[in-house]
Amino acid sequence: MNWLYDSVEPRVMDEDMLKLAVGEQGPRDEAGQLARQEGILFKDVLSLRLDFQNILRIDSLWQFENLRKLQLDNNIIEKIEGLERLVHLVWLDLSFNNIEAIEGLDTLVNLEDLSLFNNRISKIDSLDALVKLQVLSLGNNEISHVTNIIYLRRFKDLRTLSLSGNPIAEEEDYKMFICAYLPDLVYLDFRRIDDHMKELAEIKHQYGIDELKQRENLTQAQLDDERAQREELEEHKAAFVERLNGSFLFDSMYAEDVEGNKLAHLPGVSELLQAYKDKFVIICLNIFEYGLKQQEKRKVELDTFNECVQEAIQENREQGKRRIAKFEETHLLSLNAIRDESEVTNLEMKVAEHSKDITELFDMLMTLEMQLVEQLEETINTFERNIMDLVALFIENVQSLMAQCRDLENHHHEKLLEISINTLEKILKGELDEDLPYDVRALFVDKDTIVNAVGTSHDLHLLKIDNREDELVTRTNSWCSHLVDAIHKDEIMRNRRRVKEIHQYVDHVQNELDNLECSEIID
Amino acid sequence: MEVLKEKVEEEEEAEREEAAVRAERGEKVVRPMEVRREEAPMTQEMLRDLEKKLSDIEMAIPEKLSTFTKDTIDISKLPLSYQSNTLKEEHLLQVADSFSRQYSHLCPDRVPLFLHPLNECEVPKLVSTTIRPTLMPYPELYNWDSCAQFVSDFLTMVPLLDPLKPVVQEEEKVPPKKYAIKPPRDLTSRFQQEQETKKLEEIKAEEERRLREEEERLLDVEKAKTDPLHGLRVHSWVLVLSGKREVPESFFIDPFTARSYSTQDDHFLGIESLWNHKNYWVNMQDCWNCCKDLVFDLGDPVRWEYLLLGTEKSHLSLTEEEEDGLNDDDDVENLGKEDEDKSFDMPPSWVEQIEISPEAFETRCPNGKKVIQYKRAKLEKWAPYLNSNGLVCRLTTYEDLECTKTLEIKEWFQNREDMLELKHIDKSTGLNVDYFKPGHPQALRVHSYKSMQPETDRIMEFYDRARVDGLVKREETSKTMTEYYRGRSDFLSYRHVSFGDRVKKLSLNSAESNPRPIVKITERFARNPEQPADEDVAERVFLISEERIQLRYHCRDDHITASKREFLRRSEVDNKGNKIVMTPDMCISFEVEPMEHTKKLLYQYEAMMRLKNEEKLSRHQAWESELEVLEILKLREEEEEEHRLTISIYDTKRNEKSKEYREAMERVMHEEHLRQVEAQLDYLAPFLAQLPPSEKMTRWQAMRVKDECLSDFKQRLIDKANLIQARFEKETQELQKKQQWYQENQVTLTVEDEDLYLSYCSQAMFRIRILEQRLNRHKELAPLKYLALEEKLYKDPRLVEFMKVFV
Repeated sequence: MNWLYDSVEPRVMDEDMLKLAVGEQGPRDEAGQLARQEGILFKDVLSLRLDFQNILRIDSLWQFENLRKLQLDNNIIEKIEGLERLVHLVWLDLSFNNIEAIEGLDTLVNLEDLSLFNNRISKIDSLDALVKLQVLSLGNNEISHVTNIIYLRRFKDLRTLSLSGNPIAEEEDYKMFICAYLPDLVYLDFRRIDDHMKELAEIKHQYGIDELKQRENLTQAQLDDERAQREELEEHKAAFVERLNGSFLFDSMYAEDVEGNKLAHLPGVSELLQAYKDKFVIICLNIFEYGLKQQEKRKVELDTFNECVQEAIQENREQGKRRIAKFEETHLLSLNAIRDESEVTNLEMKVAEHSKDITELFDMLMTLEMQLVEQLEETINTFERNIMDLVALFIENVQSLMAQCRDLENHHHEKLLEISINTLEKILKGELDEDLPYDVRALFVDKDTIVNAVGTSHDLHLLKIDNREDELVTRTNSWCSHLVDAIHKDEIMRNRRRVKEIHQYVDHVQNELDNLECSEIID
Repeated sequence: MEVLKEKVEEEEEAEREEAAVRAERGEKVVRPMEVRREEAPMTQEMLRDLEKKLSDIEMAIPEKLSTFTKDTIDISKLPLSYQSNTLKEEHLLQVADSFSRQYSHLCPDRVPLFLHPLNECEVPKLVSTTIRPTLMPYPELYNWDSCAQFVSDFLTMVPLLDPLKPVVQEEEKVPPKKYAIKPPRDLTSRFQQEQETKKLEEIKAEEERRLREEEERLLDVEKAKTDPLHGLRVHSWVLVLSGKREVPESFFIDPFTARSYSTQDDHFLGIESLWNHKNYWVNMQDCWNCCKDLVFDLGDPVRWEYLLLGTEKSHLSLTEEEEDGLNDDDDVENLGKEDEDKSFDMPPSWVEQIEISPEAFETRCPNGKKVIQYKRAKLEKWAPYLNSNGLVCRLTTYEDLECTKTLEIKEWFQNREDMLELKHIDKSTGLNVDYFKPGHPQALRVHSYKSMQPETDRIMEFYDRARVDGLVKREETSKTMTEYYRGRSDFLSYRHVSFGDRVKKLSLNSAESNPRPIVKITERFARNPEQPADEDVAERVFLISEERIQLRYHCRDDHITASKREFLRRSEVDNKGNKIVMTPDMCISFEVEPMEHTKKLLYQYEAMMRLKNEEKLSRHQAWESELEVLEILKLREEEEEEHRLTISIYDTKRNEKSKEYREAMERVMHEEHLRQVEAQLDYLAPFLAQLPPSEKMTRWQAMRVKDECLSDFKQRLIDKANLIQARFEKETQELQKKQQWYQENQVTLTVEDEDLYLSYCSQAMFRIRILEQRLNRHKELAPLKYLALEEKLYKDPRLVEFMKVFV
């Protein structure tokens, strides 16, 4: 296979080689003349052929950003590399090389046609990124296992496949198997698959396929579920109340609380805990729902704002366009008139007049723009105020709800303390009937120990609640300030772009006039 | 008292398609065929109901013979009921007479009643008996509006000799309209509406003022012609009473126009009498305020004097109880139920059932044609297929009252193969507009033109979805052609071509294909969402004579200026004679956001090359459009000339093709039948019959039968040959004789005789030749036929067993 390997010196892909290739394959005739005059930039090249060059290592291709088609066949390449920047690549030919593994194709998402014919590949993988793959040529390789074919099921657009010359193709069931497992395939090994064959294959491999499909469906369903959950969580996060729609916060309070868990074994505490939990969860739910509602409100507010701003901009744009269209009519006429004018005084007068027109247009457009800027500024400020108010209200209400949580905790703490002390007394008196686990009993040595234990638990709980509250408040505030900043920034950018555009246009128009004048004077 | 007044003075003549054309003389025949739709399951009740409803159909018959129509009716062909009165009818007439006498005695001021006019056979008949409820098989006749329309079309109006003759009213209970749709919900803003109405009101007030002035002016003109007989003319029309079939309130139908009028309408000045097939009522109410105050409760004897007591008894008694008699719903409800037992009944109608053949129904108007004259307008109607060009309706409007200056003509067509639907000719501007239904071979929709000459002002609109190129409209003037497109994959939406003056060509032979030079092509494109706005051309102008190409790109979403580019392709050779491929000043561009690659000469060169190609294509397109216009014009002219009509495949009468096919099929069937009969001929039968009727045939007998049969056939063949031979000889002899005679008398013969002789000769020669041919053929075929029969006999099942032994 690699008959060239020993006999010929490998060549390095360098600038000169690429230039030569580009020059040779560039435009011909008159266009070629122009191309030579100007030189061709690598990034303008769409198609490049580098075959029979004895290339050992793919290199120096990073400049070809817009390359669509790349042929690197009949070289001695051993590893697919250096193609990461060629994201627009549609066609890649790497046939007749010495490649052993498929790799380095992860960025080529637009690839439709991939040829790896006559290489040393033994496993089909690392093609996951190639979602648009239509043609895959893997003939004359060392692929031997059928799982490789099942891997190809993920390419929904795959229509043409060649695998002949692989060990796998020796198997008697080879064709049937492929037809059955890749039902969308149209061409296999350069031949059209006939429908009869497809039917037969389907019948033959029905069980296998059904099983496979079932598995695939299950995975798909699982993925869908996960995605749905993720999306939901994202939504809640956007409302800053994620994980408040249940006992998550409560559970987290007790997750690290050793003492609290121990104390739960005391008589009467579990009931107390249950009641506490119920109440706590209800408040959490309240916060959650309120959060979602507020989020909705904010969204509506933002949407309305965006809509209004867009409308205003659109309206302004239309006005500008009308101005320009009107100007262009007169502009053409005046230019023609100036061109035809022979008398110098008249000419000068007309030029002056037209210059005035241009200035007028500029003023007009700038006025329009300034007007819009003012209008928008006002609107944006109003919006800013409103959204800030909304956020402040939200935070305030959440804080008050959180305070309820704290009250609950305090209440619970008192009760717990009371029970604990009672229990301690009982234990000290030896009146306790029930058996307590050893580590729990260890707490009831003296009053300080038990009070400390209960206090630790209480502090921990308060800390958790505070943390959650802080998180919510910080995130909400930062979201708000980000939003406002972004709106201001966008507006400034828009304004700059428009001013630049106006300047550019007016300059262009003025230039046209000046050019006329110049030629006129030269004449 | 109430004087019957009528505004319309009219007379009509109903025509029947069939032999017994029963037209009416002088007076009037109103023949509304009212039949209505029945709901699904037919109960006994409903049947009765239906019967009742059918009975609403009526027909009035002329009362007097007027000579001018007399000759159109063949009285002898009319059934007996037309020519005589039954006993019951006689009795009824007496009743009517006495009623009439009492009436004239009581109301001497009033016009005599129109009670029992003479029919076409000069037999007096009560008007009520002229009405015969009939159910017609045409769904159009099931509702009053379409039915009335048909009647108005079907009848021809003949004016009364004397417009002051007595009047007839008919009563009828019809009622459909149950599917009147609800008005769509009003979704418009009230405020806007108010604003609009305010505005509209202002305009309206202005307009009204103007109109009033105009009207006054017109009235002044026309006042002079006020009808001196106003209020004295007589007319009969149809009254539909409320109650049945969801008729919310009573209304009138004018049989001439098929229009319905409210009973409050000013046009109807009063009612003298009223009848249906069951009874006759005289109006006793005052008509000083037209018909506005009339109460149509026929059960109220104070308001409506009836002729027959028995018929509407229940009706009567009910209203008597209820005094005010406004409650006609109940009356009408009860009508049907208690009809059965009444003392004196209206005799069944003597009129024959109306029969309208499908042809007549389709023809609608008498002779398929009807002309209606309006003020400043004339409406002509024809039945479909009557005019060979498919014309079914023509509306001509005139400028003046005398109808001499035509303003515009609208012609409606039907069943045209070229799908022409309406032709509108505006005489004042000379503009013709043709409207087509979908299906024209060139997908033409509207064609407006002043002349059929190419390169003149015209607008063609097309069904763009039926066309491959998505052309919507093509406007032409003598110097330009503008095309509008929709839904094209290249997003072209507009193309404007300006032509220059035609260059005179010296060579005469190619004069025909001398296209006008194109000066400028402007093309506009819709936004292609797949391309960035900077690369998506919005407008391109090919200034062909100046060799310039201007491009204007689409405007980006957030920009107010659009990129522009202009290519000059003038100087292709520099002063040293070298070809200049591209120089920077050959492309002037303005870019909203300058990009690097577009500055390159190579890019510009490629763009220019592409544009050059596209210019060629566009010119070709323009040329093809011109050709298409010519083609369409030619096609239109041909179509106008041929005006072929389409015939539905279900139309067995008109569809020649299917008729031919059917006839051919019938012929084939017939021949097949004949052949079968022949095949069944038993050639052995006469010989077998000669045999004694013993049960079994011997071999000898069989042989004999066979031989006899064969020899008989042989004899017949020979006879036939002899016969042909004899005829042949006879002909030859005669010819010879004639020739001899000719030679002898040749000198004395006139030219005519000679001609006669010559034609005789050629005929005789022809006969001889044919006979000769037949003889020869017979000689050829005879042995074959003989052999065939022999073969057949060998295979005959009756003889086969004897033959077998032999073989």
